[in-house]
Amino acid sequence: MENSKIIIGYLIYLPVVIALTIYVSKMLFKNGKLLMIDIFKGKEDIALATNKLFEIGFYLINIGWALLILKISYYSQIEIGYQKLIEILSKKIGGFSIYLGTMLFLNLLLFFKGRNKSKQSIKINTKEELK
Amino acid sequence: MNYNIVTYSVYLPIIFFITIRIGWIFNKNGEVFLLNIFKGNTALVKNINRLLLIGYYLVNLGYAVVTISFWEKVERPIEVINTLSGVLGKIIILLAILHYNNIFWLTYITNSNTLKQ
Repeated sequence: MENSKIIIGYLIYLPVVIALTIYVSKMLFKNGKLLMIDIFKGKEDIALATNKLFEIGFYLINIGWALLILKISYYSQIEIGYQKLIEILSKKIGGFSIYLGTMLFLNLLLFFKGRNKSKQSIKINTKEELK
Repeated sequence: MNYNIVTYSVYLPIIFFITIRIGWIFNKNGEVFLLNIFKGNTALVKNINRLLLIGYYLVNLGYAVVTISFWEKVERPIEVINTLSGVLGKIIILLAILHYNNIFWLTYITNSNTLKQ
């Protein structure tokens, strides 16, 4: 079959990418639970619910993007050698890894923005109580 | 062999599973947000949550099924994987956009409620 190397490429790309996503997501949202409880000032149920919702959004957008960039467009006459396959795979997996890191930082940024907002509202509340 | 039918038979269970599972998780976890907005009226919140879930199923499952008719013809076995990943990727990213949109509106309503107080 002429496309066997491409199928090998897919079979390497998909598990790696899915494993990366699941690992990063688990790390981010396991450690994010404490941060959420800190932001929501101890209201544990809403903190956990927000954490779960962000986790699902993270999964969705990352797996969706990974699937969208999966397609390896092939040159139909010359069969792809192993070197070209490795280069294509490195581009896809490396690019996805960079994208995943960017998403991670974006989410952290969102968390810390929420934290600043909640700290501000604590200050406003305590100022009103002191008056 | 008609590869389109193969693709349909793989695509449909996957998209149904994803949609239904995510619907349930939103149903369970979104309840606290609705309680926040409707200030503890549990019965009302349960009903509204139920309605939102049904609306969500209708729109999303309907869209997932409708788009089947717009696929291109799948010629070869490898195109099965290409088409599957393309279509699944598009729908999952659409779900993600809707999801973040929901979160945005939820926080907007919650914040404007607390500001009014």
